[in-house]
Formats: sequence, structure tokens, C-alpha cells
Amino acid sequence: MSSHRIRLTVNGVAREILAPANRTLAQLLREDLGLTGTKQGCGEGDCGSCTVLLDGEPVNSCLVLAVQAHGHEVLTIEGLAQGRELHPIQQAFVELGGIQCGFCTPGMILSAKALLDKTKRPSQEQIRRALSGNLCRCTGYQKIVEAVSEAGRRLSRGRR
Amino acid sequence: MAAKYDVLGSRAPRLDAPDKATGRARFADDLNLPGQLYGALLQSPHAHARIKRIDVSRARRLRGVKAVLTGQDLPPILYGVSPARYDEEVLARDKVRHVGDDVAAVAAVDLETALEAVGLIQVEYEPLPALLTAEQALAEGAPAIHDLFPGNLCAEVHQEFGDVAAAFKQCHLIRSGRMVNKMQDGAFLEPNACIAEFDRRGNLTLYSSTQAPHYVQRTAAMVLGLNMSQVRVVKPYVGGGFGPKAAATPLELAACFLARRSGRPVKMGFTREQVFLFSRARHQFFHEMKIGVAKDGTFLALEHRCTLDGGAYSSFGIATVYYAGSLLGGPYRLPNMRYDGWRVFTNKPACGAQRGHGGVIARALFEQQLDLIAQELGQDPIALRLQNTMQAGDVTCNDLNMSSLGMRECLQAVGDGSGWRGKRGRLPRGKGIGMASGFFVSGAGYPIYRSETYHATVTVKVQEDGGGVKVLTGAAEIGQGSDTAMAMIAAEALGIPLRDVRVESGDTDLGVDLGAYSSRTTLMTGHATKEAAEDAREQILQALAEELGVVRGRLSIRRGRVKIAGGPVDIGPLRGRYLKEHRGWTDQPTGRELSFREAARVAYLRQGTIVGTGKYKPPPLGGEYKGAAVGTSPAYGCSAQVAEVSVDLETGQVFVERITDAHDCGQAVNRTSVEGQMEGSVSMGLGEALFEEVKFDSKGRVLNPSLGEYHIPTIMDMPQMKCIVVESNEPNGPYGAKEVGEGAIMPTIPAILNAVYDATGAVIDELPLTPERVLAAIKKAGQNKKGGRRKG
Amino acid sequence: MLLPKFDYHQPRDLPAACGLLAELGPEARVIAGGTDLLVNLKHGRIRPKALVGLERLEELTGLDSGRGRLFIGARTSAAHLAASRSLGGGLRLLAQAAGQLGSPQVRNRATIGGNLCTARPAAELPPPLLCLDARALLAGPQGQREVALSAFFKGPGLTVLGPDEIMRGVVIPRPGLGGGGAYLKLGLRRAMEISLVNVAAFLQLAPDGRTIAQARVALGAVAPTPILSPRAAQALIGQRAGDKLFAAAAEAAARDARPIDDHRGSAAYRRDMVRVLARRALEQAWDQARGRRGGKS
Repeated sequence: MSSHRIRLTVNGVAREILAPANRTLAQLLREDLGLTGTKQGCGEGDCGSCTVLLDGEPVNSCLVLAVQAHGHEVLTIEGLAQGRELHPIQQAFVELGGIQCGFCTPGMILSAKALLDKTKRPSQEQIRRALSGNLCRCTGYQKIVEAVSEAGRRLSRGRR
Repeated sequence: MAAKYDVLGSRAPRLDAPDKATGRARFADDLNLPGQLYGALLQSPHAHARIKRIDVSRARRLRGVKAVLTGQDLPPILYGVSPARYDEEVLARDKVRHVGDDVAAVAAVDLETALEAVGLIQVEYEPLPALLTAEQALAEGAPAIHDLFPGNLCAEVHQEFGDVAAAFKQCHLIRSGRMVNKMQDGAFLEPNACIAEFDRRGNLTLYSSTQAPHYVQRTAAMVLGLNMSQVRVVKPYVGGGFGPKAAATPLELAACFLARRSGRPVKMGFTREQVFLFSRARHQFFHEMKIGVAKDGTFLALEHRCTLDGGAYSSFGIATVYYAGSLLGGPYRLPNMRYDGWRVFTNKPACGAQRGHGGVIARALFEQQLDLIAQELGQDPIALRLQNTMQAGDVTCNDLNMSSLGMRECLQAVGDGSGWRGKRGRLPRGKGIGMASGFFVSGAGYPIYRSETYHATVTVKVQEDGGGVKVLTGAAEIGQGSDTAMAMIAAEALGIPLRDVRVESGDTDLGVDLGAYSSRTTLMTGHATKEAAEDAREQILQALAEELGVVRGRLSIRRGRVKIAGGPVDIGPLRGRYLKEHRGWTDQPTGRELSFREAARVAYLRQGTIVGTGKYKPPPLGGEYKGAAVGTSPAYGCSAQVAEVSVDLETGQVFVERITDAHDCGQAVNRTSVEGQMEGSVSMGLGEALFEEVKFDSKGRVLNPSLGEYHIPTIMDMPQMKCIVVESNEPNGPYGAKEVGEGAIMPTIPAILNAVYDATGAVIDELPLTPERVLAAIKKAGQNKKGGRRKG
Repeated sequence: MLLPKFDYHQPRDLPAACGLLAELGPEARVIAGGTDLLVNLKHGRIRPKALVGLERLEELTGLDSGRGRLFIGARTSAAHLAASRSLGGGLRLLAQAAGQLGSPQVRNRATIGGNLCTARPAAELPPPLLCLDARALLAGPQGQREVALSAFFKGPGLTVLGPDEIMRGVVIPRPGLGGGGAYLKLGLRRAMEISLVNVAAFLQLAPDGRTIAQARVALGAVAPTPILSPRAAQALIGQRAGDKLFAAAAEAAARDARPIDDHRGSAAYRRDMVRVLARRALEQAWDQARGRRGGKS
């Protein structure tokens, strides 16, 4: 099996990792970099727990080869908070009850981030569409929608 | 007016939320121990077969393999959930009973090697006829799946309360119906995972994704031949359970044996497919009911039969078959009830407990029939239920005591909240509104094994500096918010702010707690937490009283300040001592009142570490009849829901557009978490109503073992929900609190069924409501008429 | 879930990639987004010795309009299609279909080339592309050939693509004014769903705005491959548009469906749904062709 020297940026930090061809991006993050905030719920792209942002777009890191991420920028849940402050999306999830077991949370928050980066004040429908690849079995999603909506409000206030 | 409580009833953010939001919260698969091996299981490809021979020699020889185990290597000890039905082996010895039954286990230096070794194990099977339905399993001459249970009957129940035959003779209207669902999957997002490690003295620590560390500890000790004190089970954060994680798994037990054999920590995990093959989720139920009512709509009698397809092992099934009957005892007055239940073994993954244990499909059929009865009587469905609902203080025909019951309030709340009166009977064809009620235990009255054990013991340790307290409990935070609830209860009892309470939980070394199942934690662990916190408070105030030279009765704590009743007391000397200890510190206590911190510090200085303890065990509950234990609880939660749907009359697709939900949880501990449980319950119920079904092929293999093809609701499928929290005051609950975790699922399926009926006139007796099934039912009900429903 | 072992190649350009495929033989597989291939690899359904990654092949990128044709590079993602301004007007049905493929995460990786070359009977993009008369551009060691998409699929998972060929992209004749289309799918959930049935319809109105000059109805998940319905087209072409006509054409489409029973649904139901979806798709296509905003998508 071939090995590859993979250079990528993870949470703003340039990384270089030697990995076999069959390593997924999820494995690289969790096992090589110890970034276990990226969860593995199915390994086949059905649940969205392993969502990370690849060049700003949400992808299932279980279905991306590490070698395919060469030269790209990855944002994981660990890279979202600035210092001690939670990111406004994280803060809204915490305050509004968008988190129960927490297993879908990192992926959910990153999908929300990708949405809010493009759409400042998304409608309910836009939020639902943007998070439609992230399964949650605990919350019924209502408080997640409310949290993303509130985060959008706070972020756009901050931007003005 | 001052709020009754300072902490309870608030919307405090959960303690664990920041760690979960930032990826810091660690789940079992996120843990790694130095020198760990990786385990893998060899599972049966056959639904039913005798094991003739297992050859592990090639696997053992593979480089990197450190241990290979088969059933022959393990002690011949059967285990399970209920001691009366221990029927499981960690690894099959003589036969396999379902596709996915565990046959061998391997530990190796990495997962790749472990899986390769599993592939090198040769098993010679002699296939046996696969019994894939209850009918096949009960047929004359069917082979026994377990030698212990000839005839493949796992359990049967026959109960009668009142005189059903006589009551039917008095009935004005009798309706019969049936309902069948499909086997479910828990579909929690985190697949089961664990790491087992033995120390050099032979003590085991098992980190596992479980809902019930205590039961896992007990089972592991029994199967491994250890004392429970030698086994520590630690539950890291758990990514949902919903029932299937409430007992020890072969994954956990195999990891323990492999760790013992190899002398190294062993990490194992289920793939998503293996989660489906292990199952332990909702049974398939075949219900038949006959309900009789008086002319005025008073419920008189219920005759109820149910067959449960249990899969290959007993698991929680005995409780399930009892719950399927007993949970219809409420929330309505029903003086005569007969129930016959049979749980049958089949060659499929074993079913067990899932949210709303045993009662969900029974409730679906019962509430559907109530709507049809209401229609025949020309009554409004809500009015009919209001007329029959019990009240606090009532006892059901099967001896369940409704110590509190906000059923009436729930019914009124969803009626008002949904605009029922303006909508029911006034919607165009294809649009419908329906409602239903439900009710559930607030903690099983008895442990799953016969014992006089406390159900929860809790320690509240006051930090020696006085700055806060730590709640130590074995209770299992699995996402439902129990850590936060316990912290809030402790804060309330101590009179301190929530931020001064920390919780350590989910570790069997911290005390006995039966776990997160049967909606028991808030009430039971809550009681023990309250008692422990009060104990600590008393010790502090007693010490403080002695220091101040006042009687204890004059002292209390509220919002972190010590209140002294009955005239001024000089706190100066005491504060002086505190300040002297803290020279140079910036955060010094000020004001006229002593702070909790000063009081707790002074108490420590006087008598050493302050530790409060609490415990809880329900009083003896229920009747004397066989099976009376199942369904008993110190309290019962209840709920009502209104569903509004739109049905595509050409495709049969059902879209749930709005849910109005009211639940009586007694005193709400954390309002946000209560709503979270209600909303989550609705989503699981909606999934079951519309999508969820584990499908099998003719050889007993699961056809859809993935979250792509086993459909749980996505965010696009969930409607807007309006949650109304109804708060009765439960006399048997801590601060009046009781359950919300499971009861909230009860009305969802029937509310949707009733709404679909309102929209289409189709009475549907099979779940899930796939478009194809709904369309067929609509056609059967007759085009262009509302199936006889009166409108307007 | 672990991936099996394989070598990974990243050729620099199309000729190199085709050469590599020729050299590696049938043991090699092409990978673009990987959302389908990696799942199959994890389940051990296929065990290639080598994967050939297309990420460096610039020839497979871009949406290009020219001479009445639109070129879509094979590496174009579903998300890109769903949001593309190039897919307005009569091409809208392709964006509609792309927007209903999998989940946002999958759409960000899944490519049009992958969606066609995996040849799943229920895939999202073949029906709209069939309706738009798309042609596949297949590059091989001997150069490039063009194949009508209607002749591209051979069976579930099977296409005319040679072992050393790579799909470069598709070309679509740009519909003129009076062209409209729609894509509809039926599944259990409203997201992340494999179609039980999917239908695309396209109508080109004659200058009178009423007569149907050209029509295509394509069906997915009701035959071993995505198919065009000849009967539906025949029923529509040359006729005056209208609800009765659409109902008749939908009946015709249902007759062309050859569905099977499986655990997702019965053949009879699928055939029924072809009729319902085809009629609705035609109504929406007509609305669009007439310049009215389409109904619900």
C-alpha cells in the first residue's frame, strides 16, 4: 500500500503527516492529531457526526481520504472557539438546549457554521436544509434550529 | 412574589454543554490507554446453526494477535438481564441463534490485525431451520432455539382485573382492533464502545458506553468470577442509549476476557451494522384489543392479547411483555382489564427495552380505538378522554397508584394550545388533526434482579475550602441531563448557586445507582441527592450553630448566604478567622451575612471533611398478583399530544406539520431539559410512526443495517413543536419532581394515526406509515369520502 | 469501519490518468468524490488494488457554455450544480435534482461524473440529464468519444465506460425559450433519502406557446437503469399541452416503467407513483416553459 506525505492546515495550523493511502480524514484527525471532537457514528456518510469543514464546506470526514485533503484547509470543532470564549454558535447551543448527548453536536455546529458564514440571518427552512445531513436522535432538532437562528442574530449584530 | 425555588424550574445551561460544544467531552471511543490492544468479534452468518468445530489456529499464528477466545475458553456461565431467564453466553459454545451472534473474539495490536485474524477463524456450522417469525417459532415441531425453553415461549402473562366478561355484557359499544409494528433500532448516534483493563492485582476497570454501569458491573463480576468490588465500571460521556444500552453486552464482556487473557487493555467497538445485529431495541408487537364502553362513554372493559417477537434472547423481554399489558391500567379509569401476553423466541437479534418500554404500541392501538369510539358515540376525542381520566389519588385496577396526575391539565393544554376546536372536523380532505394521551412509570419499583438494594446512593462531599460541593453518584448521564438535574437538586437543597456544585457520575466506585432506564433518575437519584445534600447542609449548620453559640433552628442557607433568624448575631470573629486564612486573596467575603463558603470552611475546621450521604429505595409497591412488580412505580408521568398532518392523497406520504405536546413532569427541575425530553420523544415517536423498521431477508439477515436505510427523522422531517410543561406536585418525588424521559413518547404514534384518519378516513393497523401502506389504506377506505367521518 | 489496503495514484492530467488505468488494469478504480466508492470499499463489496484519484485533472472541471451547448466537467460537485447560475431556465431541473442528492455533506463531495458512472438505478442526476438529451464525454488512451447518455447505462452499476476510460464530463444542448423541466423524487424522508421513484420531465414548447415541440420523461428506480419513457414522449410531442394530456402521458410513462418488488416498495406501488410523479413533473415543466414559476419542487 502506498504512503503519502500529507500537508494540510488544521484549525489554522499547518500539519504534515505521513499516512497510508487507506487512511480517512476522520482517522487522521482523531488518531494522528488526537482531535477526538470529530465523532464517528456510522463510517458511511449517513449520520454527519464526523462533519468537518473542508475549505469552508461541510463534508463527512469518514468519506474523505486523508490524501484527498492534501493542500486543503480543515476546520474541526476544536478550532472554533477563540481562546476561552465559546464561538457564538457554541454559546447559543449551550444556552438554548441544543445539546443533549452531544455526539452529533460537533458536526451539527460545524454545519451551522458553514451556513452562517454564507447566510447571516437564515430562515428556518434554510437552517433545516443546511443541517439536513446531521442526524440527532436526542433533541428532535427544535432547540438546534432555535440555537442556530439565535447565533445568526448574534453574529449579524456583531458584524454590523 | 418570590419564586418557590432558587434553582429548580430554571433554564440553567447544562453542566456538560460547553465541553460537548467544543469537542472536549470524551466518549468511550475517544479514550485510549497505554499499551492497549484492539478487539474484534467473529459473528455468525447463520440465523440458527450448531457449531461443529472452530479452528482458531491460523488466527492465533497471525503476527500481532495477542489473544483469541471462543466459547470453550470461557467459564460456562449464563447471563442475561433477568436472573429467571439467564440465557446468554458471551461467546456461543454449541449453537448460534441469530445472524450476528458472537462466536469468537480476538485482541491484536491494531484493529486491522484483529479483523484479519477474525477472518482467519474457521467455523464449521450445521445450519438449523431459521425461525424468523413468532408463528414459525410457535409452530408444532419447531426446533427449540434454547433447550431451556421448549416450544420457544420465553414468557407468558395472564392477568385479569375485575370481571371482564361480566363488564362486556354491560357495554353499550364494543370495538375491536389490532395493531402491529416492526422491530425497531435504538439508532443512538454513538455506537457502543468500551475499553477493559485489569491491574496487576486482578482488579478490572471497564470504560463503557452504557446506560447502566451498575448492571454491567454486576454482570461482568458474575461472568468473570470476581467480586463486584473488584470491578469498576466507568461511563464516559454516552452518545444516547434509549434502552438498548441498559444491560451488559457481549462486546463489554469479551473485552474484559480479552484483557484478562492478554494482560493488556483492550478497546472494542461495534460498527453501525453491529449495533443493528445486537439490537436490544423495541420488539415487534402483535396487539389485539376489545374495548367496551357505556352509553355515556364511560370505559368499562378491555380485553387485550399481545404476542411479542422477542428475537434470540430474553434480554429485558420479561419486563416488556408485562409492561405491554400493565401500562394500559392508566391514565383512564378502567375497572375491568384482561391481558394475555406471550413473548416468543425467534432467530433474530434479541429485542429489549426502548424508550416507552413495552407500552408504546399498546398505547397506539388503545388510543386509536378511543378515537373511533368517540366518533361512534358522537363525542369529541378530548372530551371523551377528559370524562374518563383518573385524578391524583386514584388507583388503577392493576394497583398502580396515581399519587399525582396532571392528565386533565395536559388534555386541556393541548386542546387550547393547538386550536383544536377550530380545526377538528373542519379541515379539508388531506389535512388532519388528531390527539392522544399517554402515561408512564417514573422509575421501576423494583430492580431487575431480586434484591433489597437501594436503587440509588449519593454522596455530597463539601469541598474542604468551603467553596463548593461535589455530588458523587453512579447515575448515568447519557444525554438526558441527569448530571445537571442532580446538581440543581443539590444546589437547591444546600441553598447555594448552581455554579458551586460539581458532579462526578457514572462510576460504580461512587455508589450504587441502577442506571438510566425506566425514567428513574430524576425521582430516585434525585431523592438520594436531595437527602445527601440536606445531610451535608445539616452538618454544616450544626457546626456553625455551635461555633456561633446559637440554636441550629435559627440558621438556614439561601442563595449562598447564611440566614440567621431571631435577632443579630456577631459573625465578626468567625469572619476574622476566615480572612486570616486568606491573606492576599482577592475574593474575600463581605456583607453582613456569612457566606456558605465561610460556613462550610468553619464546619470543616471543626470536624474534618463534611460528607453527606443519601439513599433511595421505593417503598413496597403494587398488588399481590403475579407480575405485579412490573408497572409499579413511586409515581407516574402523563402526557397528551395533538398532531397536525397533511397527507398526499396520491402518494400516501404523511407530513407531520405541527405537534402540540403537554407533559406532567411534576416539578420541572430544568425546564429546558424537560422540553428537550419532550421534543426528543416526539422525534423518536414520529420516526416509529412513519419510517422505522428493521427489515430481514429470508435467511434472517438485516437488510437495512445502516442509518441510510434505517430511517430516523432528519431535521427536515421534524415539525414545529409546541411544548407545554404541566407541573403537578408529586408527593413521592424530590421537590415534587417525576419523569419526562419516556412517557413523552406515548401519545405521538396514536396522535399521528388519529390525525391521518382525520385527514383520510383510513384506519391503519400496521406501522410504520409508509407512503405505500397509507395509500393502500386510503384506497381501501374509499376514494372521495371521509370514511364515514362526520365533518363540521 | 476500516478501508482495505490499496495504492493511491494522483495522475497530473487526463492522458496520464487513462494511461495509468490501462497499465493497472481491472484492479484499479477511479475515485472523485468517493461518497459511493468508499462506502463500497468499507463494506468489502469491491477490493481494488489501486485507486486513481482525479483531483488534479483540470480537464474535468468547470461549467462552460458555448455554441448552444453547456459542458459540465465530471468533477463538478452536486452542491455546485445545485447552486449554479448556469442552470437556470430550462436547465433548472438538473439543479433541482442535484439539490436533492444525499445530504449537504455528500453534495459537497459527490460529483456528476460519479453519480453517472456508478450507474445506480435510483441516482438523482441521470433522469434530468436524460431529459436534457445529455451526452457523456469519455476520454481514453485513444482519445475522446461522445456517447448519448441514453446509451450510457447498461445495468445496475454497469456502463459503456471502458476500463481505461474516464468520464470527462457531459454536454447538454442548451434549451431555448419555451423550454421547461422539473425533477421530483419520492422517498420516505425529506432528506438523505434514496429515491423509491424519481422522475424528470422536460418540455420544449413551439413558438405558439401551446404545442409541445419536444418532450422527454425520464424515470429512475423503476428499471435496471435510469430510462427515458418513449411512450410518454410519443404521447406528448406535437400535442397541445394541458392537464389531460399530461395525465395520459404519465399513464404512458407508467407503462414504460419496469419496477421490481424490493424491501423499499412494491413494483405496483412504484408504477403507480411513476404515474403520479410524471404528471406532476409535466405540470411543473409546463409552468416553467410558459414562464410561470414552477409549483412545489
